[in-house]
Amino acid sequence: MLAFVIRRLGVMLVTALVLTFVVFFLTNLPPNLEKLARSEGSVRMTDAAVASWLEEHGHTGSVFFRYAEWLGAAPGWVITDEKGVTRGKCIGQRDDPAMAPKFCGVFQGNWGVSTVFKKTVLFSLGKSMAATGWLMLAVMLVMVPVALLIGVLAGMREGSRTDRVLSTFSIATSATPEYVSGVILVVLLASPATGLSPLLAEWGWIGKKTLFMGTATSAMDHITFWNFGLPVATIALYGVGYIARMTRASMTEVMTQQYIRTARLKGVGFRQVVLRHALRNAMIAPFTVIMLQFPYLLNGVVIVETLFNYKGFGWMLVTAAGNNDIEMLLGASVVAVIFVLVTQLISDIGYVFLNPRIRLG
Amino acid sequence: MNDMTRIDALHPGAVMHLAEVKAGELSRREFLTRTTALGVSAVAAYGLLGMNAPAQAADVKVGGIVRVAMETKAMKDPRLADWPQIANVYRGWLEYLVQYNPDGSFEGRLLESWEANADATGYTMKVRQGVTWNNGDAFTADDVIFNFTRWADGSVDGNAMASRFPGLTEMVAKVDAAGAAVNDEAGNPVMVTKLRDGSVVKMDDNTVELKMSMSDIAVIAAISDYPAALVHSSFKDGDDPAVNGIGTGPYVPGEMSVGQKMTIVRAPESHKWWGGVAPLDEIHYIDFGTDPSAMVNLANSDEIDMNYETTGEFIDQLNTLGWTKYEAVTASTIVCRFNSATSDLYKEKEVRSALQRAIDPAVVLELGYKGLGTTAENHHACPVHPEYAKLDAQTLDKAGVKDVLAKYNLADAEFEFISLDGGFELDTSDAVAAQLRDAGVNVKRTVMPGSTFWNDWQKYPFSSTTWNHRPLAVQNMQYAYTSTGSWNECGMANADFDAAMTAALALADGEKRREQAAILEKILQDEGYIIQPYWRSLYRHTKPNVVGAVMHPSMEHHHYLWSLA
Repeated sequence: MLAFVIRRLGVMLVTALVLTFVVFFLTNLPPNLEKLARSEGSVRMTDAAVASWLEEHGHTGSVFFRYAEWLGAAPGWVITDEKGVTRGKCIGQRDDPAMAPKFCGVFQGNWGVSTVFKKTVLFSLGKSMAATGWLMLAVMLVMVPVALLIGVLAGMREGSRTDRVLSTFSIATSATPEYVSGVILVVLLASPATGLSPLLAEWGWIGKKTLFMGTATSAMDHITFWNFGLPVATIALYGVGYIARMTRASMTEVMTQQYIRTARLKGVGFRQVVLRHALRNAMIAPFTVIMLQFPYLLNGVVIVETLFNYKGFGWMLVTAAGNNDIEMLLGASVVAVIFVLVTQLISDIGYVFLNPRIRLG
Repeated sequence: MNDMTRIDALHPGAVMHLAEVKAGELSRREFLTRTTALGVSAVAAYGLLGMNAPAQAADVKVGGIVRVAMETKAMKDPRLADWPQIANVYRGWLEYLVQYNPDGSFEGRLLESWEANADATGYTMKVRQGVTWNNGDAFTADDVIFNFTRWADGSVDGNAMASRFPGLTEMVAKVDAAGAAVNDEAGNPVMVTKLRDGSVVKMDDNTVELKMSMSDIAVIAAISDYPAALVHSSFKDGDDPAVNGIGTGPYVPGEMSVGQKMTIVRAPESHKWWGGVAPLDEIHYIDFGTDPSAMVNLANSDEIDMNYETTGEFIDQLNTLGWTKYEAVTASTIVCRFNSATSDLYKEKEVRSALQRAIDPAVVLELGYKGLGTTAENHHACPVHPEYAKLDAQTLDKAGVKDVLAKYNLADAEFEFISLDGGFELDTSDAVAAQLRDAGVNVKRTVMPGSTFWNDWQKYPFSSTTWNHRPLAVQNMQYAYTSTGSWNECGMANADFDAAMTAALALADGEKRREQAAILEKILQDEGYIIQPYWRSLYRHTKPNVVGAVMHPSMEHHHYLWSLA
């Protein structure tokens, strides 16, 4: 078990190294560097000004050497311009150049500064991951119980009316992408002119103009049911359908097993059969699906966070990519690698507990 | 109206303009812009017109927070600022020498007064006394000179101010870090602007004189523009102005999260602002992204009190919410321009002109901007500009385009037309493209999101660009269409135009000035580089309890005038 975990951590390290180099290489392609120069300098700079900006900000030279600078394996760039002002990777605004360290990379614990957000990468990542963490937590708390309940109810009597109704619901939600369901929810529940809100306001049931808020911006400061409900529902709806379908399939398969029939023939009640004998075995497949939902959520939040203007990881990724924020993107890819591999590790370990026939080694 | 009795002490230009108003040659608005630019105070200018200057609201309630929906872009060295949104944040603590008001007048802020000499080759500027920086230093003539030096420094990549003071600067060879001269691809030395020695002179602690090598009536307008915020002498090239936040203004930077939220908060007690007390405790800028419908959502769910700008169909939506609408008459516009420097398709004047005259501005205004403006005449001078001269109407010729294209073997050529994806920019560009297709031109439309569009905005062969309002028509023309203009995006290099521009920047009497403008307009129109269909009216909405947050033609936020009822 320990050897397995250590091997997984090794894989994680190698993956992170390879991925960050790929990201570094792509963000350092000439057109992307030009984009960076224009967003940092001025969008209306001439080509000559762009070239000189790039030189003065340490973006010229070998891509391998600059990657090593980022890692902290090579000394950071230092440039003294024509006015005698010294700038460098390791020199902050108003720092004394003489006091600055020679190396400042990931090895030294310095993840760099985001060019878009003007804050350190660690700070920006921490803040956006915290915001996304709350969103994911809320989504999981809503999605998993609802999906399992629907899946089990539908799967325990295959072909029944309950099964047909619930299956239709879950197929419909999993076939509706977030950018569609999000817009529908906003129109129905968060518009003062359409959907439920004008009716409710007319009847005097709500004191404000809309039932839910159409944006989650204020949830950055304090989460309420009304500002967080719609983004959570939007992501959860899609996942609910998918997990419920998986659970149903797994459940129907378990329900046709010999031991279920044996238990029924021994006179055990249906309720007991489902809860005692079927449920645990039916949970193995959905468990993997649920753990796979975590990395998916990391992608899925991109759309929802942009739609509801919630400044989490997904939104940050879009903004950083749009502005070619090199160090921010590198940091984000490390986080993504860790996140995906850790959830998969948990999924593999959890498997062992759910299914004693599987051994890790 | 003491000023009225002392007409003899007025600037001769102001006397001349007053005569023009009386003769009906000059509008009141134009009179305000022209005379206040020469140093006549707004009160005096209104007095000369026999009107009272608009009174400041008497009792404003102090306190409260106003939340504004506006993109919060990264702060940068003010002279590099490329969006009014950036300036609207640092405006909280950085102030300007002169402010351009929505009524078209110039008002001294850090300058108490200024006076131009008769031919506008010299200005005497009186620095406001009793102004302090929020670190305790006094604001003096030295600060003004420090900032003029910064503005004129063309060696800083992307300095938007550098080309605006032709009379104060000289051209020097650019040198690199090692002190060696920088050459361009052709091997010629790269020339950049630098403040000419002896051009900005300190007379005493409170007086600065500009001694220019040529007449320039646009100096006051240039120093009122949003990149011209004054920074403290400890400010280094390329610094983020929010990091130390030293300024003269009533606020200091609070939370600064790019793309999320930026706040300015009242400066600590120790800083006594020269203007008294700014009513609001805090102003919060909330970023809603680039999709205007998100802004309406914010308004619906009561997360904002006002917005930066309302466009298109959203005007009606916010009206329905019961918000107050403010409108500004402006020379803001969208220009669809050809670039002869990057594409061979547009080298021929006849081709450009034919394409230009295939477009009916009225149709573009209706389809592209829902008719919320007035049609323009393809020369980037607007009737609200003081020097606007009416030219004979252009003849539209949709049918003739094909023949002209055939003449230059371009009948089958594909004309790629690039624009921003979204907003009125998209609709307008689509309307222009549709009309070109009607005329038989093979147009390919390409749309790009804002994040990539601006990377190459000057280089696209054919694209649309939005232009902000500027007080004088010669300003936009100088930046965009002279051969040395810093924002020249069409490759136009017409010696006659450059010469006419130099002449137009000198003060002349009303008739001559308009003649000069007519020459500029005619050359620009005939060159056919731009399809400029309409002038935009700009709108802003605020909640009914927000006072004083009127729309400004250049999108400026004058925080000290805002309060809550």
